[in-house]
Amino acid sequence: MSLLKLEALSKKFGDHWALKEIDFSIDEGEIVGLVGPNGAGKTTLFNLIACRHRPTSGRVLFANEETTLCKPHKIQKLGISRTFQSSRPFAKMSTLDNVVVGRVFGGEFHLFAQSTDIDSARQLLELVGLAHKEQTPAGDLTLSEQRRLDLARALATQPRLLLLDEVVAGFSPVAVKQAVDLVRRVRQRGVTLFIVDHFLSLSLRVSDRLLALDHGEKVAEGRPQEVMRNREVIRAYLGTRYEDE
Amino acid sequence: MWTTVVVSGITLGSFYTLIAMGFALIFGVTRTFNLAHGEVLVLAGYAAYWLWKTSGVSLLFTFPAAVLVALVVCLILQRLFSRLREPLELNSIVMSFGVAILLQNGMLFFFSGDYRLIRVPTFNQGLHFNTLYLSYGQLTLLALSLLVIGLLYLLMRHTYLGKALRATIQDREAAALAGINVGAMGILAFAIGAILIGLAGPLYGCVHYLYPTAGLQATLLAITITIFAGVGRIRGLILGGWILALAESCAVVLFGASWRELVGAVMLITLLALRPQGILGREQ
Amino acid sequence: MQVARAAPVLGLVFLLLLPVFARYNDYVLQVFTHALLLATLALAWNILGVSGSISLGHAAFFGAGAYTSALLSLDLGVSPWATIPLGGVLAAGIAAIMGLFCLRLRGAYFALATLAFVEIPKVITDNWDGLTRGSLGLVGLPGLPSLRLGSYHFDISGSLAGSYYFVLGYGLVLLLLVTLMFRSNLGLALQAIREEEIAAEAVGIQVQRYRLLSLLLSAFFTGITGACYGHLIRYIEPGLVYGLHFSAMPMIFAICGGRFTILGPALAALVLYPVDQFIFHPLLPAGHEFLYGAVIILAILFMPSGVWGQLRKGHFVSIKTGSIE
Ligand SMILES: Nc1ncnc2c1ncn2[C@@H]1O[C@H](COP(=O)(O)OP(=O)(O)OP(=O)(O)O)[C@@H](O)[C@H]1O
Ligand SMILES: [Mg+2]
Repeated sequence: MSLLKLEALSKKFGDHWALKEIDFSIDEGEIVGLVGPNGAGKTTLFNLIACRHRPTSGRVLFANEETTLCKPHKIQKLGISRTFQSSRPFAKMSTLDNVVVGRVFGGEFHLFAQSTDIDSARQLLELVGLAHKEQTPAGDLTLSEQRRLDLARALATQPRLLLLDEVVAGFSPVAVKQAVDLVRRVRQRGVTLFIVDHFLSLSLRVSDRLLALDHGEKVAEGRPQEVMRNREVIRAYLGTRYEDE
Repeated sequence: MWTTVVVSGITLGSFYTLIAMGFALIFGVTRTFNLAHGEVLVLAGYAAYWLWKTSGVSLLFTFPAAVLVALVVCLILQRLFSRLREPLELNSIVMSFGVAILLQNGMLFFFSGDYRLIRVPTFNQGLHFNTLYLSYGQLTLLALSLLVIGLLYLLMRHTYLGKALRATIQDREAAALAGINVGAMGILAFAIGAILIGLAGPLYGCVHYLYPTAGLQATLLAITITIFAGVGRIRGLILGGWILALAESCAVVLFGASWRELVGAVMLITLLALRPQGILGREQ
Repeated sequence: MQVARAAPVLGLVFLLLLPVFARYNDYVLQVFTHALLLATLALAWNILGVSGSISLGHAAFFGAGAYTSALLSLDLGVSPWATIPLGGVLAAGIAAIMGLFCLRLRGAYFALATLAFVEIPKVITDNWDGLTRGSLGLVGLPGLPSLRLGSYHFDISGSLAGSYYFVLGYGLVLLLLVTLMFRSNLGLALQAIREEEIAAEAVGIQVQRYRLLSLLLSAFFTGITGACYGHLIRYIEPGLVYGLHFSAMPMIFAICGGRFTILGPALAALVLYPVDQFIFHPLLPAGHEFLYGAVIILAILFMPSGVWGQLRKGHFVSIKTGSIE
């Protein structure tokens, strides 16, 4: 049964189509990579799924419910969480508080943070390897730490579907390897993952399937190896390399 | 009677535009709000008043002194503004609010809290056109305001500096890439803004009482007109000034003079509510 | 850090014993009573400030609270203890109207809108002669009735020390409430909104609802302070209670003290106002308030998180209980 279903999803900015007629679906428990060159529309697709933007046409269904016109804070309650391409930590708050926020507002509301909230936030910091920094203001973390914090905060809301936008951009090979581990562990918690990964360093290793976009259009989908052999995908990637740079 | 309302609205509105232009130029070029705008205006007015009172020179000769005072203050302000951190718009508001308090207290110290007015006797005489009466004061106000607005328009349209300023207003990054020294444009904007305030100051002292806290009203009207016009549109500023002044005159006629202050405030809030993204109106 | 921990305790002891130290000197008591009032204003302002919005229009709430309580107690003869909370309620009502227009705005534009908004209740109060007696103001407001605990009488309006202790008590209660608010999930939400609104929304925070709530709470307590002010001074007029003073002071204290902390705004009021009154006022009878302009400029340029925020670096309001902010 598909967890997320996109039907002819399109988004126009001014008179520029950022996404055109995207049909796609993701099953529960899958890890799907979303690839494509700069400006392909990856972040835009995430913004539509997470209801940051409204699509120009088309529908989004999550767990068989239409969520196309939801509010961003509502969609989270239904079970979709995300990280941001440029990570957005709550800079002046402690690392622990950052995760507690996710926990508190993702779940049932209490007036005060419960000790269970704080405990599970600590566990998540442990998971992403930030336990030793729990009292550091999030703004003082390094870039890769902030990315991991973003991930922990998103996980704290206990999502069914997690959208990760460029989690490993700029990571060293060692850090990418750790991220691969991390993503697998997240999947073991029963979370479905949709991962944007421009340089493919993460998604080629962990994804069950890939969706490739170029200029807002779907150019390929399927098993990673197949998609990477697809001529249009190769052209899209090499094309940008030779035309834009 | 309504012709009188319209004529005095246009006269006052042109003057409002003159007051707003410096504010709008500084905001457009540097993306900072100068809440001390009205205080600098009142200070320029005080400078003119003081010169007029102590040496008895005619109003005309007070303009250079007022411009000089405004220039000195604004260039100091520019140094302060250039050190602000992001978010520029908000931090500039808070800091210039402090500058406004500083200037108010300085004026209180030097000029006391008494109400002052530059009285030019001929300003109260005037011309009759049928039922319409125009005082020389109004005529001077209108003529000088339009003259200065016209000069600024020519400067912005037809000189290299004006084009560089407009380019900076439209897109700072592109302007910088095109080789325009954006920092220098900021200084220039403050300097031109100061000249505009300096020219408006003595006129302000003729039509309004000067007192240390008088500036807030002028600042509010400058903000209102600037937000109405959006950045970089002199025609918008003229229209904004006229509409505000006409609305004020109508309110005075319909409800009484004490409701006048409400007009600008309501107009500003309405404009902001209609354009919540602010002047630039650009989505992130 | 030791200093930072000890200072609030020492400060409290100082405030409790002040009337004794000052040998019940009228002027000293008056200054500190007003400083405490300003401190409560700064605390209340910061309920909104902690969410990142800077208001330049809190005098709207202060004046509304003062007028509501004054009119109800004067014209209907209701006890001030009943009318003061109503002042807070009306202030919150005004905040709701303001929120309708201003809460869609952010940052600089919110600040500008609040600056303009004050004019509305002010001009209305000024012109609604039948109800408010217009710009003449209201004189002879009833003072605060003395409190009775069994056979013990606590006289408030009869003596300056009584007024002082009343404001101190109110300030401490408000400080407790603000601490609870900031440490609760409400505080967490407001801080998250301040830091990254988009991320806050993505973790499920209903941004606008929380912003409205913080505006209402902030206005409510500002209104209560305004109402108390009226009954303490026993004279109000539109130009006074809706004046720039009551918009500017809380903003200046909160930013100089540290608007990311609980105590900073109140501490700044308790230090700066007496310094102004005891040092600068005698030196410069006209123009002594330049001090406030100078400190806010310095703060925004060199210490954007405020003095207390700087001292307590890395210890901003946190859900981790047990540390005094
Ligand atoms: N808010 C917006 N307003 C206008 N245009 C936008 C907006 N967001 C994205 N676009 C445009 O839509 C297109 C797709 O952008 P998007 O950010 O989705 O690409 P992307 O695949 O995430 O690229 P990258 O690898 O650079 O992150 C681009 O041409 C971009 O300029
Ligand atoms: Mg992207």
